[in-house]
Amino acid sequence: MSRVEERLRFEIDGSVTALSGKMEYGQGLRAAYPRIVAEELGIAPSRVRVVLGDTDVVPWDMGTFGSMSVEMDGRELRRAAAFARSELLARAASRLATQATELDIEDGAVTSRLDGRTLTFTQLVAGEPVTGEVPEDVPLAVPTPTCPDGPADSVDLVTGRAQFVADVRLPGMLHGRVLHPAVHGARLRSVDRDAALAEAGVVAVVVEGDFAGVVAERHGQALRALRAQQPQWDPPLPPQAPGTDAVLRSDAGVDEAFGGAATRIAARYFTPHVASAPIGPSVGVADVRADEAFVYGSTQVPFGLRDAVAAIAKLPVERVHFRPRAMSGGYGRHGSSDAALEAARLSAAVRRPVLVQWSRADELHGAPHRAQMEAAMEGGVDATGRIVAWRSEISTNPYGYAGAAAARSAPARPARPAAMGRAGGWDPTQMVAMMAGRNAVPPYELGAAEVRLHVTPGRVRTGALRSLGASPNVFAIESFVDELARAASVDPFELRLRHTSDARLRRVLEVVRERSGWAHARRGQGRGVGVACVVYRATYVAEVVEVSVAADGEVRLERVWCAVDAGHIVHPDGARNQVEGAVQMAASWTLIEELPHRDGEVLGETWEDYPIATFRDAPRAIDVVFTGDDRTPSSGLGEPPAVPTGPAIANAVFDACGARVRRLPIRAAAVRRALTGG
Amino acid sequence: MRYLLQVNGGPREVDVPAGTPLLAVLRDTLGLTGARFGCGHGACGACVVLAEGAPIPACTTAVEDVAGRAIVTIEGLARGDELHPVQRAFLQEGALQCGYCTSGMILAGAALLQRVPSPSEDQIREALAPHLCRCGVYLRAIRAIQRAAR
Repeated sequence: MSRVEERLRFEIDGSVTALSGKMEYGQGLRAAYPRIVAEELGIAPSRVRVVLGDTDVVPWDMGTFGSMSVEMDGRELRRAAAFARSELLARAASRLATQATELDIEDGAVTSRLDGRTLTFTQLVAGEPVTGEVPEDVPLAVPTPTCPDGPADSVDLVTGRAQFVADVRLPGMLHGRVLHPAVHGARLRSVDRDAALAEAGVVAVVVEGDFAGVVAERHGQALRALRAQQPQWDPPLPPQAPGTDAVLRSDAGVDEAFGGAATRIAARYFTPHVASAPIGPSVGVADVRADEAFVYGSTQVPFGLRDAVAAIAKLPVERVHFRPRAMSGGYGRHGSSDAALEAARLSAAVRRPVLVQWSRADELHGAPHRAQMEAAMEGGVDATGRIVAWRSEISTNPYGYAGAAAARSAPARPARPAAMGRAGGWDPTQMVAMMAGRNAVPPYELGAAEVRLHVTPGRVRTGALRSLGASPNVFAIESFVDELARAASVDPFELRLRHTSDARLRRVLEVVRERSGWAHARRGQGRGVGVACVVYRATYVAEVVEVSVAADGEVRLERVWCAVDAGHIVHPDGARNQVEGAVQMAASWTLIEELPHRDGEVLGETWEDYPIATFRDAPRAIDVVFTGDDRTPSSGLGEPPAVPTGPAIANAVFDACGARVRRLPIRAAAVRRALTGG
Repeated sequence: MRYLLQVNGGPREVDVPAGTPLLAVLRDTLGLTGARFGCGHGACGACVVLAEGAPIPACTTAVEDVAGRAIVTIEGLARGDELHPVQRAFLQEGALQCGYCTSGMILAGAALLQRVPSPSEDQIREALAPHLCRCGVYLRAIRAIQRAAR
């Protein structure tokens, strides 16, 4: 339940301000939200201003993740706007002494169809703001894609004027740096505090438990002081949290079903730790004073950060003000506001504003990385080509906030665990099923199936990355479905379509088969195509990729076709941008990326040690088509299109050269190994 | 040490220690924050500026090495309110998401078009290859530079 005045403000100049606790870092919310409000209110999107993440004025929000911003907060804005629309119509009807049904709402005004008399929004709200509880059943306008795609609201980003967190400059601001061991959880044995203090420009050396930071006038000075500390580390304690197991599906008669299968195969899949690798590393600025605090940071959880800073500064939460600024994409990484928390601890110690900018090495050593996953899959197909038995056992690490490693600098007892928010008290089995177990149960109508999940803390710090467990899980599922199709001599599209009666899933599969020219694709001699699909929450995605594989095993992603049903598409070009970007990122982690680590130590500090896809690796084209219905509510788009890309590539590589790579990344050596059976 | 720089068409005198990275001078001394810090080892392109028309990573360039050379940052690319064609094309093609890598990409694109007015797609890929984008707008950026070339 929400109140309209928490969401929308009608301004005296006829514009509308929309309020949301979500953060923008490239998903396009600043373009999407005005369109949602505009669709309901019948005004131009340019007349809607959006305020995001400012904890002093926006309603409380759990955080920006899970591809939920348009689906859920967008729905709240839509409902608020729909309610405001009915209020404005009722007011106009009363003042014009007519029926609301005789009125049109258009271009910021309500007009009588009978006599053309008009009242503007400004006239309708003057002295009487639109307030009230938005009823559960508020009628929504049937959204139509009437808003043309204007240029993105991004002028400040192309001129350099946009102010990112790292660009905040406060009077008297200092620069801080904090030590990050390459081994997650390593305990600080000693630092040379005096040597650090002796460096030029150093204002303070702050050592509290395993936290050791320096504060200096200039950034270069802070860096020299940091190095002068010469830290000695003790190895981490063994993990305290036990593992969590979850049974995601357990039908009766699985063994019997396998016994009756005509064809039975088994395979193991593995996906490594992957870094979120934002181009802008974690950064934060904090100004902690005796009676209030201001914080700026790269974060997906502005309220969680505010509450944590309140705990650090020993202030009530309403005395802490989070100030949103532009931020680098984080893809889940900024669920942990590391640098801002460090800045708060340092600022609390020196009582001056402190900026903390993580380095690239800090980011590799200290940021949460995607969990490792190992899956043992077993499937049985009957003589008619139906999958009658399915068993999978998945072992992985925690993703979210339940049992995953918190930021080193987080306060010992956060006021409110960020992801749990007001719901609170979720049981750990449910949490791991929802995060690590996301999409671990195939979307198909299978015979008897059993899906088990084991989640244990790894030695590397793990956390959210675009789609959580869905991408690893679906890599295993959709690769294995391809193997089953080959084993049963059935076309991979055909096998998938045989096992679903879900019209939306069938449609994305059929559309992408058609658009990609699947029936006539070049196959063999180093050229191949592959398909994979996912039903991610309420969003349906099917992808076909075409790859070429060189004689030495080097894979090149040539072309990608995506069919996506995310219901009503609010901002078509922004939505396409999300799909293309998700595919590009997933192609990178599928073909290139693996976090180098040994005995819990992350090895490497630079982009050379952890390369990602470049302009050279980008495919020739990514074709995106939306198959959804405008009457179906909008669902998320940030994560889902990343999910099928990996298995589609693996399936295409097999199609091209017969190499079944079950362990990511699919580098040339992996293809050669798969071909020689090594 | 005092250095006389030519930044965005005007002289700027700065007093910083020798060896100070150009990026720190731009961002902290001159308040030009459009060049972004990404990696500090010249491998991501987020801090790229133009020196005598050629893209250079500002994070690994010492201030003394560019004294007297004409520096252009993203703030100096537009003429008043009139955006550079590459800036306009990035908007028209929606060739950005978070925008953190955008300054460097646009400057590299502008430098390329100065040198090669009608580059092929592969020439664009090569020229922009030093610029990493994790949001994945590579194809859009290519289209934007092609649009600006028309």
